[in-house]
Amino acid sequence: MYLALREIRFAKTRYVMIVMIMLLISFLVLFVTGLAKGLAYANASSVKNMAASHFVLQKDSDHRFGRSQLTEEALTTARTVVGDDKATPLNLRMATVTEKGMSLKSDVTLFAIDMTGWLAPKVVEGQGIANDTQGQVLVDRKLKESGIQVGSTLIDQMTGASWTVSGFVANESYSHTPSVFMNEQDWLKLQSFTPVSGQDSSDKTYNAIALKASEDQLAQLRAKLPDSDIISKSDTVSAVPGYKEEQGSLLMMIAFLYIISAMVLAVFFFVITIQKIGQFGILKAIGAKTGYLARNVIGQVLLLSIGSLAVSLGLIRLMYEALPASMPFQLDSSTILLSCSLFIITAVLGSLLSVYKVARTDALDAIGRTAA
Amino acid sequence: MKPMLKIDEVTRTFHDGDSEITVLNKLSLQVGAGELVAVMGPSGSGKSTFLSIAGALLTPTSGEVAIDGVSLSGMGSHELAELRLKRIGFIFQSANLIPYLKVKEQLLLVAQLAGMPSGEASKRAAALLDRMGLKQRQNYYPDKLSGGEKQRVAIARAWMNSPAVLFADEPTASLDAERGQDVVRMIAEEVKAEGKAAVMVTHDERVLPLCDRVLYLKNGALVEA
Ligand SMILES: Nc1ncnc2c1ncn2[C@@H]1O[C@H](COP(=O)(O)OP(=O)(O)O)[C@@H](O)[C@H]1O
Ligand SMILES: [Mg+2]
Repeated sequence: MYLALREIRFAKTRYVMIVMIMLLISFLVLFVTGLAKGLAYANASSVKNMAASHFVLQKDSDHRFGRSQLTEEALTTARTVVGDDKATPLNLRMATVTEKGMSLKSDVTLFAIDMTGWLAPKVVEGQGIANDTQGQVLVDRKLKESGIQVGSTLIDQMTGASWTVSGFVANESYSHTPSVFMNEQDWLKLQSFTPVSGQDSSDKTYNAIALKASEDQLAQLRAKLPDSDIISKSDTVSAVPGYKEEQGSLLMMIAFLYIISAMVLAVFFFVITIQKIGQFGILKAIGAKTGYLARNVIGQVLLLSIGSLAVSLGLIRLMYEALPASMPFQLDSSTILLSCSLFIITAVLGSLLSVYKVARTDALDAIGRTAA
Repeated sequence: MKPMLKIDEVTRTFHDGDSEITVLNKLSLQVGAGELVAVMGPSGSGKSTFLSIAGALLTPTSGEVAIDGVSLSGMGSHELAELRLKRIGFIFQSANLIPYLKVKEQLLLVAQLAGMPSGEASKRAAALLDRMGLKQRQNYYPDKLSGGEKQRVAIARAWMNSPAVLFADEPTASLDAERGQDVVRMIAEEVKAEGKAAVMVTHDERVLPLCDRVLYLKNGALVEA
């Protein structure tokens, strides 16, 4: 590092410029990663927030809640295996609602859950609801932007059913639509508006059963419920409509950012290294070993990339403070750590071309060179 | 007296397309401690090739080179680098110095590479720079030095690890007559003072009086004037 540090000290402007470029790239990488994570959360936060480890769904439902239908027996079976308090049913459906007296429509996802169980969301404003309250719902805070308040009445466009907003919950959405939570009683009432042919609407069915289960219990349950799929929470999240497509595009962007940064850095360091070939020849002639020179090249790259990452993390922090709430952004420390290590690895990979060039430099070049 | 540099019947050939050219042909030379030898010859006579082989940068096709009694035959590139670092000093024509190291750091770098304790290195560097008249310049970058000063730094760096032999490749080429004389005089003085051997390739007739012996490269071998 003796050479690396002194070179930076000597050519400050040049290295400040390199750091700026690396800073911009790493900032972009972190920013897009944060947006991807934020969108992922905003897309399916209701599922992500559920304290479940796994979900039971009907077989061949493509892991989608909406396509799955389970009977009461499935719930009973699940409860005998994992315990009464470790399995809880859940229903959902997409709906379009309007506020009474207003024309503004909102797409929402209606969830029916046990309001006293562990799927019940935390109320941040207004009153919670119990399992025996009637015509009351909890809604995501985002609906406030459409003018909905505690006490507003929501009307389901398809059935005409109506509910009063009892309270607000935070960060609850499904497929980018705000979530609306109701108890089972109101759900059954809603179902009775839209009878399914060949089925008694008083028969209880569920879209899914949320579980907190160990691997052993899962194996037992799989044997007992052959007509169902038992899948992990993250698989369920990926199956939320639109989730995979959205994350796929963002991931592609991030992957390209890494490739671009690898190439830009490789070219940058290569050009710098080419300019220094004469010096490397001299250094080798006077006895510096290739390993020593390579360590200096890589050390310098490490130093520059870590330095620029540190600054861009600071910028990300400022940016985060400044971002409007409607722009979802999320960057937890494990993601930061992963992105930063990837960026550093990318930078080091980019410098390998230079190291190769240094290794190839012949000490003989130092002799008989006329001018420089 | 044991020679510091012993070159024994060294031959070097290069392939040029289909034909083979013999640049050095059974060249022999011995240089003792305290001796400064000048090597002259027209362009293309093989001076650079000779210096590269003697300085452990290039291996001869046949023959043997020994520095301070140690034969170079059979050494790997790592060992050769180590030998160049500790037993050989180089002064090149130009572009000698690392542009981003201050004068004193140029010397400290080679000491550090050779594993010299930093306290000792700092003392030795200061003493050498003082002898070269560069005391006032030790915190300068090379681009702030004159041509003569640069070559004096190169001399000081070459002596830093107390090598057995010093090789200089036209060290006065980019200097005016007076500066050239100064530089060679300093090399000669150090050779005498430290009891080392030095070989200098040069075109500069005016520095010859400062050398102990003058040899000419002719037909691949060294002959006395
Ligand atoms: N790597 C090489 N490949 C082929 N020919 C070479 C090589 N190095 C030197 N030569 C040839 O050897 C001869 C001597 O070159 P050199 O030692 O550079 O002479 P000088 O330094 O006296 O000008 C020249 O004819 C040159 O073309
Ligand atoms: Mg030459």
